[in-house]
Amino acid sequence: MTILDVRGISRRFGGLQALSDVTFSVPKGQIVGLIGPNGAGKTTFFSTLVGLIRPDSGSIQLDGTSVVGQKPHKVAALGMTKTFQNVALFAESSVLDNVLTAGLLRHDVETARKEALICLDRVGLKSVAHKLAGNLSFPERARVELARALCTGPKVLLLDEVMAALNPVEMQEIMNLIRSLRDDGITLLVVEHHMRAIMTICDRILVLNFGRLLADGTPEQVANDPVVVEAYLGRSMEAHK
Amino acid sequence: MKRWIAILAVIAIAAVLPLLLSPTGYWIRVLTFTLLFAAMAQVWNIIGGLANQTSLGHAAFFGIGAYTSTILVLKFGISPWIGMFAGGFLGGVAALIIAVPTMRLQGHYFALATLAFGEVMRVIANVWTSLTGGPVGLSVPFVPPSIAAYSFKQLLPHAYIALIALIIVTVIFEAIRRSAMGYRLRAIKENPAAAEVIGIDTTKVKLQTAVISGVLMAMLGTLYAQVAVFFDPDTVFSAASISIRVALIAILGGVGTAIGPILGALFIIPVEELMNDLFSSGAAGLSQLIFGVILIAVILWRPRGFITVFDSLMARFSSKARS
Repeated sequence: MTILDVRGISRRFGGLQALSDVTFSVPKGQIVGLIGPNGAGKTTFFSTLVGLIRPDSGSIQLDGTSVVGQKPHKVAALGMTKTFQNVALFAESSVLDNVLTAGLLRHDVETARKEALICLDRVGLKSVAHKLAGNLSFPERARVELARALCTGPKVLLLDEVMAALNPVEMQEIMNLIRSLRDDGITLLVVEHHMRAIMTICDRILVLNFGRLLADGTPEQVANDPVVVEAYLGRSMEAHK
Repeated sequence: MKRWIAILAVIAIAAVLPLLLSPTGYWIRVLTFTLLFAAMAQVWNIIGGLANQTSLGHAAFFGIGAYTSTILVLKFGISPWIGMFAGGFLGGVAALIIAVPTMRLQGHYFALATLAFGEVMRVIANVWTSLTGGPVGLSVPFVPPSIAAYSFKQLLPHAYIALIALIIVTVIFEAIRRSAMGYRLRAIKENPAAAEVIGIDTTKVKLQTAVISGVLMAMLGTLYAQVAVFFDPDTVFSAASISIRVALIAILGGVGTAIGPILGALFIIPVEELMNDLFSSGAAGLSQLIFGVILIAVILWRPRGFITVFDSLMARFSSKARS
C-alpha cells in the first residue's frame, strides 16, 4: 500500500533549480534514506513535503490525499511532519512543554502530557523533561525534535539529520528507535550524512543531486551505482587509482 | 493551597481598601483608575504577552466600547450594561478586521500598523460628527442612580466594578495561559515555522487571540465612559494615554505574567497622579518630566519588570519560612 506518492515535484528559487521533477512513491512501513551532497536539495525537499515551501509544479499524495498547497498544520493533521535540521525548538519552554504542544494536535492537555512523556521516554530524555529546551546540548535537542515530531502521531515522519553529532552508542539507540517506529507502522524518510548508519537501517535509498533524483534502490544497489559514486565522491576515485 | 490563600488575601485587601478611602475624595478616583488600567493592561497582555504581538493600537477597541455604550444610552436609552456587550461585539469585529492584514507582520511592523489603526479610529471619531459629536465629545446622560442603569452617586461602586473586571480579565488571562491555546501561543511566539509543522494553525490562533483581546478592551471602554462621564475622541482613542500606556504598564510590570499588569498599574497610575499633585504648581511640564525620569530609572533597574522584584521577595520569604 502506497502511503506517500510524489510526482514531478519542481521548485526554482531565482536562478537556482532547487528541485527538478522529483518522482517516487513509498509503501507504508518503509525506512527510506535520502542522501546527496550538500546543497543537493534534501532539506528543501522535506520542507516542500510538509508544506513550508510550495512547489512550482507536481503532486504530493499522502495516504491518498493531495497535500500540495496545504498549510503545514493541515499536512501535520493529515499525518506528515518533519524535524528541523538546525533544530527549531521552543527554547524558552521546558522539554516536556515542547513535546506536549505537539500532542495537542490530537489530544487535550492532560492526555498530551502523558503522550509527551511516552515520546520522551522513547528518545531517552524523560530525565530532562523539566529542563529548559534551550539549555540542552545539541544532540539532546535533536532528540527533543524527534520526540516532538513523534508526538503529533504521524503516519509519515521526516527526520532531517537527527543523528548529527551523536556518539556511536547514542547513534545505535536512535537507529533502534527508528526501527521500532517502523514496527509501529510509521513510514520514515531519513536524511543523514552518516553513511554507515543510513546503509544499515534503510530499506531503500534515494539519491538527490542538484535537485534531481539520481538513483532509487536498495542500499547495495545505490552503493554500487557508478553514477552515484561519481556524484557523491566526485572523480577523485579514479585519480587515486 | 498556600497560593490560593495568598490570592484570596490580596483580593480581600483590595475589597476593603475602597472603604477606607473617602467615598467622594480624590484617592478613590485614583484607585478606580488604577484598577481599570490594570484590567486594560491585563487585556493587552493577552495579545502583547501571550502572543508576543506588541499592539500599540488598543485605544481603537477601547474607544469603540466607550462610544458604543454611550451612543446607545443617548439615542435609544439602552442600559450601558447591554451597551457594554454591543461594544464588545464591535470591538471584536474591529480586532478581526485589523488582525487579518497585520497578523503576518512581526515586531516593529505590527506595532506601527496597530498604532496607525488606533489613529485612524481617532480621526474617524473626530470627523463623524453626526454619530460621535466630533471633537466636542460626548457626555454620559445623568439617569436616576440604580445598578440596572449603571448609575451611581459615588465613585465607590465604580471602584468595585473595576475590581471585579480586573479579577475577571485576570482569570481569563490565566485560563488562556494554562490551556492548549496558551501552549500554542508560546510555540508561535518562539518559533512560528516549527509551530505550523507540528500542527498548530498559527493564523487561527493569532486571530482568536486578537479578537478576545479586542472584545475585552472594548468592554472596559464602557466602564471608563461610566466613570469619566465625559470623553472626546482624543481621550479614548489616544495613542499616548491609552494605547502606549497600557503596553507600558504591562511591560513595566512584567509582560506575559498575570501579576505583571497589576504591579505595573499599581506603580504607574498612582505615581503619575502624585507627580501631577506635587509638581503641577511648578513649571509647566515638570511633573511629566519627573515621571519620565522615574520610568527610565525603573526600566534600567528592572528591565524584565517588577515581577522580578516580586519573585525575589517571594523566594526570600519562602526560604525564610522553611528555615
